[in-house]
Amino acid sequence: MPFPPSVARGLAGMLLDEERLARLDALHFYDAGHGYDAFGMHPDFVKLGEGLAGPLYEKYFRVKSYGAEVIPSTGSAILAANHSGNIPIDGMMIWNDVIRNTEPPRVVRAIADNFVPALPFVGTLFTRSGAVGGSRGNVRALLQKGELLLIFPEGTPGILKPWAKRYQLQKFRVGHAELAIRFGCPVIPVGVVGAEEQLPQLTTSRRLGKAMGVGELPIPLVPVPLPVRYHILYGEPIPLHEEHSPEEADDPEVVKAAASRVRDAVQALVDKGLKARKGVFR
Amino acid sequence: MSPLRHLDARLRGAERVLVTGASTPIGERLVRQLLQDSRVEHVLAVLHEDPTTFPVRPDERLEVVQVDLSRQRRLHGLLFGPAKRLGITTAVHLAMHRSAHARGSRVHAINVDALRNMLAFCERHPTIRRFVLRSAAEVYQVGNDLPDLITEDHPLNMSGRAPQWVQDRVEADVSACTRMGLSRLEIVVLRMTEALAPGTGSQLHDWLQSSVCLRPAGFDPMVNVLTIDDTVTALQRAVHAQAQGVFNVPGADSLPLSACIRSWGRVGLPVPGAVLAPAYRWRRRLRGTDFRYGMNRFRFHYSGILDGTRAREVLGYVPSNPVEWPAKG
Repeated sequence: MPFPPSVARGLAGMLLDEERLARLDALHFYDAGHGYDAFGMHPDFVKLGEGLAGPLYEKYFRVKSYGAEVIPSTGSAILAANHSGNIPIDGMMIWNDVIRNTEPPRVVRAIADNFVPALPFVGTLFTRSGAVGGSRGNVRALLQKGELLLIFPEGTPGILKPWAKRYQLQKFRVGHAELAIRFGCPVIPVGVVGAEEQLPQLTTSRRLGKAMGVGELPIPLVPVPLPVRYHILYGEPIPLHEEHSPEEADDPEVVKAAASRVRDAVQALVDKGLKARKGVFR
Repeated sequence: MSPLRHLDARLRGAERVLVTGASTPIGERLVRQLLQDSRVEHVLAVLHEDPTTFPVRPDERLEVVQVDLSRQRRLHGLLFGPAKRLGITTAVHLAMHRSAHARGSRVHAINVDALRNMLAFCERHPTIRRFVLRSAAEVYQVGNDLPDLITEDHPLNMSGRAPQWVQDRVEADVSACTRMGLSRLEIVVLRMTEALAPGTGSQLHDWLQSSVCLRPAGFDPMVNVLTIDDTVTALQRAVHAQAQGVFNVPGADSLPLSACIRSWGRVGLPVPGAVLAPAYRWRRRLRGTDFRYGMNRFRFHYSGILDGTRAREVLGYVPSNPVEWPAKG
């Protein structure tokens, strides 16, 4: 980052009140020696992120959260969510929602696509607030440390899906299920409603995306995200680790079935959220 | 020394250690440390330079010899001469060319051929049973699609475009690894984070000597650095351990590059990546420094921290000597 943690803390102090700052002092965090964890997360940047994302969470997207009490206060778990909206605001809102609804506050480590660490400034900002590149080794290390992970099993096809396919889950990758079985942690399904309508997509461009190092770039219909209301729904944890032995993580059929179960649970939450909401902006 | 005396030393758990590259800051400190170690009966320090310049005080447990390790015959003479006479049980190989710009067959002979020959001789040596190689973290690939936390099974940097400094270290490391288990020789490869100290070949240390340190704008990866004290501790543990294999040896300091600059009391200047290589090329031409941006390009963009779990569990190595930063960030 272009500025040290002390500046981040100062800025966070301007954006957050004393009570919220004090609450974030109790953040669950493994210091690797200089105030950063081994992946580059720093609590002061988390506070700054909370300060910056807070108004978006509260005022702009007016997030409504349901069932966050299922998130464990300690130990590893994988939050598996649907991905949508052309830009990963859904990830930011879940990140914020988890910090606000866990006691002591926990930072969910969002597993970003491999191109994210290669993006100047953005990659560093994500890293400081807890995101990590989506390599297997990173995920393994985080789960072994007992961290909370956020995985979007749909990947890029989910976030870039066209308007006509909104709220239709794309094919789920199976990595999250395999990791949960292998490293013994529950999977918590998460349904996000609202993000699909935030930035209607006109088309996508591979050429532009390649030039910007992101693979494929969405061309939105509107210049800024619309002030849709977000609904984040957490489902009951799926105890894959209790139902399967770690050795079964090598069985493709078991892993596929487990991932399918997670997908069904996420789809059910999305459907529930859609049914319950009164409108896109309400 | 009679074979029976040697057997007696082994049974008592005593070591007789040969150290190559003993005139380097790490080698010199290791020799001093081994001389203070009651479990070490004798140290044979091997230098490329004149032994009279070796700064360690003469000791009845220390013998200093000058050998050009790149000469096979002389290396043979060392191992089957003084080393055999002293009943050396463990060889610690530290000798590598330190300059990132050095290249050619002579450098390769020091970095790789000497190691290969040493391994071949040690395998048929009557008393040496253990071989410890100081390898480097630079043998690993670093990239946006690779884990930030590097375990021993991480991909190695096999790129043909890598500088000879890296290629030689990868070749030496792999040469040692491929011989594990093929003979009675126990081989330990320690892949060490660079020691942030002068004379150790540390690129980061050389880079930090400028009052303004240029770094790629928009990137601030995590780096890990080691001290000479921890380097020596890890080597010493490898000498006494029973296990063989590959071990990552991280240091106690993991911090972002920008914090590293601040802690060293320097000014960091983020500039577009394309400017860095020519800027540091000019710096080298004008000031004769050793830092080579091309060699550090990836780690100046992406994090790569050694995971020392295996070294902790098997060797009992825990980094406990943080760097004494000139200016705390």
